[in-house]
Amino acid sequence: MTVTFPQKGLPWLLLLPQLLVTAIFFLWPAEQALEQAFYQEDAFGLSREFIGLENFAALFTDPLYYQSMLTTLVFSFSVAIVGMSLALLLAVMADRVIRGKLAYQTLLIWPYAVAPALAGVLWWILFDPSMGPIALWLKSAGVDWNHYLNGNQAMILVVIASTWKQISYNFLFFLAGLQAVPRSLIEAAAIDGASPFKRFWTIVFPLLSPTTFFLLVVNLVYAFFETFGVIDATTKGGPGQSTTTLVYKVFNDGFVGLDLGGSAAQSVVLMAIVGLMTVIQFRFIERKVQYS
Amino acid sequence: MTDVILEKVGKTYPNGYHAIPSVDLSIEEGEFIVLVGPSGCGKSTLLRMVAGLESISTGELRIRGERMNEKEPAERDIAMVFQNYALYPHMSVYDNMAYGLKNRGMAKNLIEEKVSDVAAMLGLTELLQRKPRQLSGGQRQRVAMGRAMVRDPKVFLFDEPLSNLDAKLRVQMRVEIRQLQRKLGTTTLYVTHDQVEAMTLADRLVVLNKGKAEQIGTPMDLYNKPATPFVAAFIGSPSMNLIDANLTEQGIKISEALTLPLSHQHRGGIVWGIRPEHLEVSDEHNADFALRILAVESLGAETLIHGKVETELGNGDPMVVRLSGPHLPDVNSLMWLTAPVLHWHLFDAKTQQRLRD
Ligand SMILES: Nc1ncnc2c1ncn2[C@@H]1O[C@H](COP(=O)(O)OP(=O)(O)OP(=O)(O)O)[C@@H](O)[C@H]1O
Ligand SMILES: [Mg+2]
Repeated sequence: MTVTFPQKGLPWLLLLPQLLVTAIFFLWPAEQALEQAFYQEDAFGLSREFIGLENFAALFTDPLYYQSMLTTLVFSFSVAIVGMSLALLLAVMADRVIRGKLAYQTLLIWPYAVAPALAGVLWWILFDPSMGPIALWLKSAGVDWNHYLNGNQAMILVVIASTWKQISYNFLFFLAGLQAVPRSLIEAAAIDGASPFKRFWTIVFPLLSPTTFFLLVVNLVYAFFETFGVIDATTKGGPGQSTTTLVYKVFNDGFVGLDLGGSAAQSVVLMAIVGLMTVIQFRFIERKVQYS
Repeated sequence: MTDVILEKVGKTYPNGYHAIPSVDLSIEEGEFIVLVGPSGCGKSTLLRMVAGLESISTGELRIRGERMNEKEPAERDIAMVFQNYALYPHMSVYDNMAYGLKNRGMAKNLIEEKVSDVAAMLGLTELLQRKPRQLSGGQRQRVAMGRAMVRDPKVFLFDEPLSNLDAKLRVQMRVEIRQLQRKLGTTTLYVTHDQVEAMTLADRLVVLNKGKAEQIGTPMDLYNKPATPFVAAFIGSPSMNLIDANLTEQGIKISEALTLPLSHQHRGGIVWGIRPEHLEVSDEHNADFALRILAVESLGAETLIHGKVETELGNGDPMVVRLSGPHLPDVNSLMWLTAPVLHWHLFDAKTQQRLRD
């Protein structure tokens, strides 16, 4: 069915707010970043000079940039794997619960409603080395917790803080996936002598693979691009560079280090990565990961 | 030797629904038992209790003398064929069939031997490397049977295995299942709501009604001597004509104007029944009654005539007549019929039990 409008202008008018938002908050900054990536600007933004690809050359010879890439990969895969494993575990448990199912599921969706920065602050308080309850408990258990000094601990903290929110999302998808597995398959496997553990790994998990792959992509994209708020609220990329992801580095180099050209060049690289991931996502999800 | 015994087996679901009050059944070794009944009567529930997929609320299940109530499905040495086949979609036909053997820790070369034997028996050899989604409905059905057969279990359980196939394939598979079962000699419990399937497959039939076994017996027992009007109506197609009547000194009083003579000591409300194929065409002088024809169904080999019993007081109870060969009586005309006493079925209206002849 097609809807026809009497005037040609009305559809455009209706689209205008959306187009404006896209133009102001996406197209214009993107264009700015692209342009800036080819200039060197002084710290006060008073003068600038065209330098061609020098910003990119500097970027790709900077060991810190590669360090940050590695950090991003470690961080992203940790968030994806930890978040998905926990969510799957919770979903399997929720799938078995009969009484109070709704309450249990609703509780698990709550974290998703909390703003990332708020989640960050929450974990920052809980893990604060001098007064955070979790940090104090860890200390009493013999772990010397101080994520301001220890890079690995800082990484663990940002992974926890970022994962926490994503569990709800993963949980919902896994639960839907589990509920779509026909009961008779599990029953057939039970008659075929498979233990519950074996049933899960040889029947249920393979049948979940489309969901799992979809979530892996979504979680990686989330960890790459949407965790700025969490990192800023907990570790600010530190100590040193230990939790500086690519996105955080764009902000840090641009607004703290005031290297606008270098920061813009990094944004352009990130844009390319986003494009690539979008292509991968569409390619694979269109084709669907079939159990083959 | 008695193979499977259900002793006062009952089921109450967790939501309080009393699906099966109590069923007693003992199955001989190698016997083919069919559970038949209308939708929702508890056939699947009973089968699933034997399989161990539903807990048994009351009573006891024994297989080869051993109590099974607390045993896991895998420990009961049964195999089940599901209505939707329940093939593992991500595994090849070979792996589907081998799965149960692998789980039981059988040696690899032995598994290969068993699977290829069964595959050959079912004509699946060419399909072993395919995935279930690459098979036709009939082929999937075969794989499901193959998966049950490779394990060589004590008991086969089938839950409406043919209901997803088209009519022709259904008849073919029905014959095949019967032949295979005969050949293997495995005790079988088979659920269906199709009475033709039930009659043709069963050594003995169990007719279930609201979770109660109305009658257990050979197909011919049930056809010739149905214990209740329910069984009478359920077995045979088209259904037996059943008419509420009164047994008096004069005989069976069907209506004010029609009494069929009979001497019987029983008095009071009864259900009088006669099968459509037992009514005979007659003439005005010898007939027991007349039928006002409402519709004629010609099937070639036979003709079904639907009508109402005609008396001086108007039209009475509906009745179906089955005649062999083609007939073309006019709709709305009268047809004179006799109902041979030999083929009458009488049931007490109150207790719903068959009256002794
Ligand atoms: N898990 C359950 N909880 C509560 N009631 C149930 C459950 N499963 C089945 N029932 C009820 O028990 C009765 C018997 O169900 P069952 O599945 O055994 O019927 P059936 O004879 O196999 O019917 P069909 O021919 O439609 O498959 C039905 O009334 C059904 O609603
Ligand atoms: Mg059923």
